[in-house]
Amino acid sequence: MSFDVETTASETVIIHVGEALDFRNADEFKSTFQERVEEGARQFILDFSDTEVLDSTGLGSIFSLYRAVSPDDGKVAFADVSEPVQVVVQLTRTYKVFRQFPSVEAAREAFSG
Amino acid sequence: MAEHTILVVEDDSTVRELLKYRLGKHYDVFTATNGEEALDEIEETIPDLIISDIMMPKMDGFALQSSLQTDKNTRIIPFIFLTARADEEARQQGQRKGVDDYITKPFDMETLLSRVERLLERVEMFQTELNAELGQDFSNRLLPDRVPEVDGYALDFHSEARDQGGGDLFDWTQTDEGTYFLTIGDVMGKGLRAKFYAFSFLSYVRGTLHTLLEESTSPAALMAQLNDMLLNDDVLEDTFATFLLMHWDPARHTLTYANAGHCRPILVGPNGTDIPEHSDLILGLEEDVDFSEITLELAPNTALMAYTDGLTEQHTQAGDMLGEEGIRECAREAYGRDNPVEVLLERTLARSASDQFEDDLLVVWLERMGP
Repeated sequence: MSFDVETTASETVIIHVGEALDFRNADEFKSTFQERVEEGARQFILDFSDTEVLDSTGLGSIFSLYRAVSPDDGKVAFADVSEPVQVVVQLTRTYKVFRQFPSVEAAREAFSG
Repeated sequence: MAEHTILVVEDDSTVRELLKYRLGKHYDVFTATNGEEALDEIEETIPDLIISDIMMPKMDGFALQSSLQTDKNTRIIPFIFLTARADEEARQQGQRKGVDDYITKPFDMETLLSRVERLLERVEMFQTELNAELGQDFSNRLLPDRVPEVDGYALDFHSEARDQGGGDLFDWTQTDEGTYFLTIGDVMGKGLRAKFYAFSFLSYVRGTLHTLLEESTSPAALMAQLNDMLLNDDVLEDTFATFLLMHWDPARHTLTYANAGHCRPILVGPNGTDIPEHSDLILGLEEDVDFSEITLELAPNTALMAYTDGLTEQHTQAGDMLGEEGIRECAREAYGRDNPVEVLLERTLARSASDQFEDDLLVVWLERMGP
């Protein structure tokens, strides 16, 4: 399975995470964002609208993304966060790092503004 | 279980296609017509097994095999030579180079298939055994052999791992002042890699604690150091961990702790349970994070229970995860019993959809006894 990715006019990359981000596809998620980071992207929106599963390996891969862009003041935003993802975010206190938006659209507006 | 991949290297197109067709029924097969092409293919995908002809244009089978020997990622791929050169000399040359098997043309397809199957099974078995052994070895080092024995206190823990387990860790150190430092953590990831990182990390914590304790006994200060270390160490790059560092002073009945994204410990006493509201960011994510600490006074007949997310994420019969609330209930039921940890686990399983734990888990129960 590969990730559905789009790039907006303001150079923001939107990754639709899909049903699961876990030990099975975390490596693939990593290579997906690494490619974009190498191309110069620093703003990422992760769409969690359909996400049922986010395990620690999956979360770790999101942290790697954050580590990759944060030295250049990059941003990683969470959009439309589903209940299972919210639980993980609360548990690890990562809401302190990842801004959350009700929708991809809202995140995109915040990034382009 | 992913299908095994086999690379067939053969310049004769008839033999190549035949092998691809027959092996393709059981395995994921890709092909190359000589050694050079094979190396290109292997660059893309590392196969589980290689079946190669010896005599081929550009790069022959022996050259391919020795080229693979120089790289640690390809050195261990089992190799079957398939050749018309049935003479003893070539066979010996092959064996010297660590060839796993040798089949002469014309070959019987059923024989080849059964050898392939056996070889793959054998490799997998070795791998599984090795992983299990290493995993067990690491696990043993991530947990203490015994716990401190302090008058008026009971300290107990339970750890259990699924499959190879993950990076749960628990350790304690006694200071010169008769106080204790308890370290509870969960290094993200699964399997051996997580265990290895957890082990490296714990070694660092053990080493640093002694030096740091000469200056301060502040868990928050130590947490900040650990965070810096995770961010700046190349080996531990992309490692993230939730951590709980506790300074326990049995004489003063105090517990001071800092929490980096770990499950929040629960206070259990005669009046029920309480969660001292407190937790900071997980380790390894951001530089210059301030960690705070909280000091609790343990009243008689009160316990502090710390645990890892294997407990909160256990699914209940209703299909939800047990969560903090569920654990509080189980802790209340376990309170006052002779073996609270045992009862807690029993109560958790009683609520579970499964009759066993789905993930690794660690529970630490520290109780101040009554007068």
